[in-house]
Amino acid sequence: MTHIPRIGIGGPVGSGKSMLIERLVPMLAEVGYSISIISNDVISKEDADRIRNNLATKKGLLPENMVIGLATGGCPHTAVREDPSMNLAIIEEMEDNHPELDLIIIESGGDNITTTFSPILADYFIYIIDVAGGDKYPRKGGLGITNCDLLLINKIDLAELVGANLEIMKTDAEKIRKEKPFEFINCKTDQGIKKIAEHIIHDLLLDSQPKSNNLKKV
Amino acid sequence: MININSILGSIFKENNSENNNLEKLKISRVDLEKRILRKKTNLGTDIGINLNSSTKLQHGDIIGNNEIKIIVEQIPEKVISVKLKEDDEKIAILLGHIIGNRHRPIAIKDKMILFPIQEDSELEIFQRLFKEIIDHIELKIEEEIFLPHTSADVHEH
Repeated sequence: MTHIPRIGIGGPVGSGKSMLIERLVPMLAEVGYSISIISNDVISKEDADRIRNNLATKKGLLPENMVIGLATGGCPHTAVREDPSMNLAIIEEMEDNHPELDLIIIESGGDNITTTFSPILADYFIYIIDVAGGDKYPRKGGLGITNCDLLLINKIDLAELVGANLEIMKTDAEKIRKEKPFEFINCKTDQGIKKIAEHIIHDLLLDSQPKSNNLKKV
Repeated sequence: MININSILGSIFKENNSENNNLEKLKISRVDLEKRILRKKTNLGTDIGINLNSSTKLQHGDIIGNNEIKIIVEQIPEKVISVKLKEDDEKIAILLGHIIGNRHRPIAIKDKMILFPIQEDSELEIFQRLFKEIIDHIELKIEEEIFLPHTSADVHEH
């Protein structure tokens, strides 16, 4: 079976996980990568419906059936770490039926700073926080902040309004993350999103070309 | 970038003095769990690891190709070691129960139980959690290459 590289995106409620996907997918799709999205939530499938509407129905960047909503019914971290079987079942079906995919994005439901993804489920883990939680956020640590492959600090346009000092967040993130990367972003304006795409192409896709490029050559 | 899709061997299985001169790829315990990983060696060689699901990197593995061989070195991390002052099954069971409740992976070494921590301040937390048995155990923070017991391959909170 083809293994399709998988990104797990975690972060607190309202930090911008769904918005990040809505901004990131167009950039990756523009250079030819085929992407599927699984959006986890506790009860509703609202985020998946919104992402499907914005990326598939309106923009036609991927087929509508490539955005899947998964109502996990329990703590969000459970479905991506302790028992990722529901997500894995969907992914196995994807890998069987859509080997042309370059990437699968798994969005966790909103959760706390100890959220991590099982390495069985995700090959690359992005954790997103936002400045509205205060500039203490990075230095407080937690497995999500310290262990993720890429830490994102979103909504930097609000920093002044909520009294968050970006310099403090930068210094603390450098200290706690050591050599691991982090980026300041603003999903509303696409600020920093290109850098995230570059991290993904370099660190997860290992600079491989979109599979559709190979198909075109045949 | 050098593509790595398999593991060639292990320094612990091959007694070869040439292994001492190989390039080193330092990887954290958490990153060793990954199938896909891109990192640079101590000499700056760009490595792209993409393993199949049945293969898992371990400390001491040798990876590479016909031109280059690289040793995987797990990065040491902070652990709490717990030593029982006397052989007492009841204390040992309670100890396992308390650590298990915190969902920590463990290693057993020289009659000691070890589990990873992120900060020194966690020692105080565990001293509190162990309060019922604190007179029967010795706690110490150490830094070492933590090799979790495979049956305790669980998540961490």
